[in-house]
Amino acid sequence: MLKIRNIDAFFGNIQVLRRVSLHVGAGEIVSLIGANGAGKTTLLNVISGLHPTRNGSKIFMDVETRGWKPEKIVARGLIQVPETDKVFNPLTVMENLEVGAYSRRRAGTKLPQEIEAIFQLFPILRERKDQLAGTLSGGERQMLALGKALMGRPKLLMLDEPSLGLAPTIVAEIFRIIQSLNGRGTTILLVEQNAREALRISHRAYVLDTGRIILAGTGGELLSNDEVKRAFLGKDYRGKWER
Amino acid sequence: MPIFKPDIETMGREELLELQNERLQIVVNQAYSNVDFYRRKFDEVGLNPDDLKSLEDLKRIPFTTRKDLMENYPYGMFAVPLRDVVRLQFPLGLYGNPIVIGYTREDLKIWRELVARIMVGVGLTEHDIIQVAFNYGLFLGAVRFNQSAELIGAAVVPTSIASAEVQVRIMQDFRSTALASTPSFALHIIEAMGKKGIDPRTLSLKIGLFGAESWPEGVRQAIEENLRIKAYDIYGVMELVEPGVAGECVARAGLHIFEDHFLPEVIDPQTGQVLDSGQEGELVITTLTTSAYPLLRYRTSDVTSLHTERCSCGRTMARMDRVFKRTDEMISVRGINVFPEKIQEVLATIEGIGPSYSMDVAEKSGMNDRLKVRAEAREDILEGKEERKIVLQEVVQLALRRALGLRVEVELTKRA
Repeated sequence: MLKIRNIDAFFGNIQVLRRVSLHVGAGEIVSLIGANGAGKTTLLNVISGLHPTRNGSKIFMDVETRGWKPEKIVARGLIQVPETDKVFNPLTVMENLEVGAYSRRRAGTKLPQEIEAIFQLFPILRERKDQLAGTLSGGERQMLALGKALMGRPKLLMLDEPSLGLAPTIVAEIFRIIQSLNGRGTTILLVEQNAREALRISHRAYVLDTGRIILAGTGGELLSNDEVKRAFLGKDYRGKWER
Repeated sequence: MPIFKPDIETMGREELLELQNERLQIVVNQAYSNVDFYRRKFDEVGLNPDDLKSLEDLKRIPFTTRKDLMENYPYGMFAVPLRDVVRLQFPLGLYGNPIVIGYTREDLKIWRELVARIMVGVGLTEHDIIQVAFNYGLFLGAVRFNQSAELIGAAVVPTSIASAEVQVRIMQDFRSTALASTPSFALHIIEAMGKKGIDPRTLSLKIGLFGAESWPEGVRQAIEENLRIKAYDIYGVMELVEPGVAGECVARAGLHIFEDHFLPEVIDPQTGQVLDSGQEGELVITTLTTSAYPLLRYRTSDVTSLHTERCSCGRTMARMDRVFKRTDEMISVRGINVFPEKIQEVLATIEGIGPSYSMDVAEKSGMNDRLKVRAEAREDILEGKEERKIVLQEVVQLALRRALGLRVEVELTKRA
């Protein structure tokens, strides 16, 4: 579904991604793990067209999207839920969901049914539908962000740190929802600090380190990888390559 | 036809090449940042790992040779801290400095799967009883059969170096359905059966997996006719995994290389130029998923050619021709690798013997059966007391046996 080849990205003169190549197959959950500053968010931004890239290619559903504007990429079904500012605080829950369908505004007028479907998925949002998004709790905001993204009918959903700052029970709920979305056919590219949970639900994963992919494998393989354990799962981390 | 990992083994070529490219970039990142040797090699030729954008760029990476592995003995080629390593292997039969190969848990898991792919590919299932008559002491890959057979649910009988008579007895009593051994040992078993007048039709054997030495088609025919089995060739590289790099499928149209883990090239051994598929040359392998001991463009010294058309078995993985030649002087005697350099080294340690010598291998059905070394000795030894000569001959014999893991006939000759 998504094929990234040799992507470089810069902030000014500083290179933050170095010939990154990865792929996400239809129906997969693929996660991208790595320390702070490894380039994970930048990579998502490059894929969604928010951050420019000078070279490489990013093929989404068999079409090269390098140089495309973000809105064109969204319209093709690649939707990103950013780490912060993921909902419009001054708008109500309902309005946020309507905005989520903006890219498909010419698609027809089945909105009420679609919003109903989102409410079934996230019952809490129905209770809060007239509340301003800014007044929601962290977990509710994350659910709204997911609901809003789903209104865009994503073929590939990119989630940036969906568990960040949430209480452990809510985190479990979010991961359960991600899995169930995937079960209904949405392909997911997940960026997570919570490596253990992310790897647990992922079909495959990549490890990004200072702008380079340094490991790849199935979720299970990486969960048992010693290097991953040391670096991300809290097992006596003493610098990665000590001998 | 049975395939262990159909999604991988039959994936489209284009998709496979994409996967290889992704994995190549990762293994290069790892090797460059964690192995001083590779960093030095890259820097020497002015190659930045970030410049490797496609499989085409592979040819810019310098070759790695057995000499490099020896020079970086013991742990210089390791890409992970030692505590991630769960097995250290020490191949016998190498000349000069030894080498040691490390494997992480994941490395071993992959290896186990690859041999299972071979087993399933030749039709072995959970209903089979596999008799493994490889020498578990000398052939490090022997134990791999146990774990891979367990993975597919087959039963293993590790008969190891039991005598041919015992092997046959076990085949009869246990009703073994498959035999894994060196082809020369299979011939030895056939001989023993002949002497005892045992009819192969009284055995349950169906399938044989043979490797660790090169065996001509004539030997295959002899084994198949006399044991009434289908005999398949398996291939490995002792510095990577052996067996488990490639194996024949039921189509027997070459050995499928597990290209999702190993990137093969064939080069002209003289110029180092990469040759097109179908052309014969030296096999060069780059590991794509090995964590502990990644090898970039490792020269195997084995001569073969590659074929990338889809096989009639449905697999898309490239096939290599069976290996009958080497680019170095290594010979295989009853499945044991012998480097002539090692013989020279042994002779040099014995006063009055060498340095020159000649080697003679006695052939049986086109396979090396016995090794005879004619070592030059000083004149006073040859013309001195007979006992002294015999003692010295035994000293040489013992030293060679110790170094090679093989009984060697020794003759002392005049210096030229």
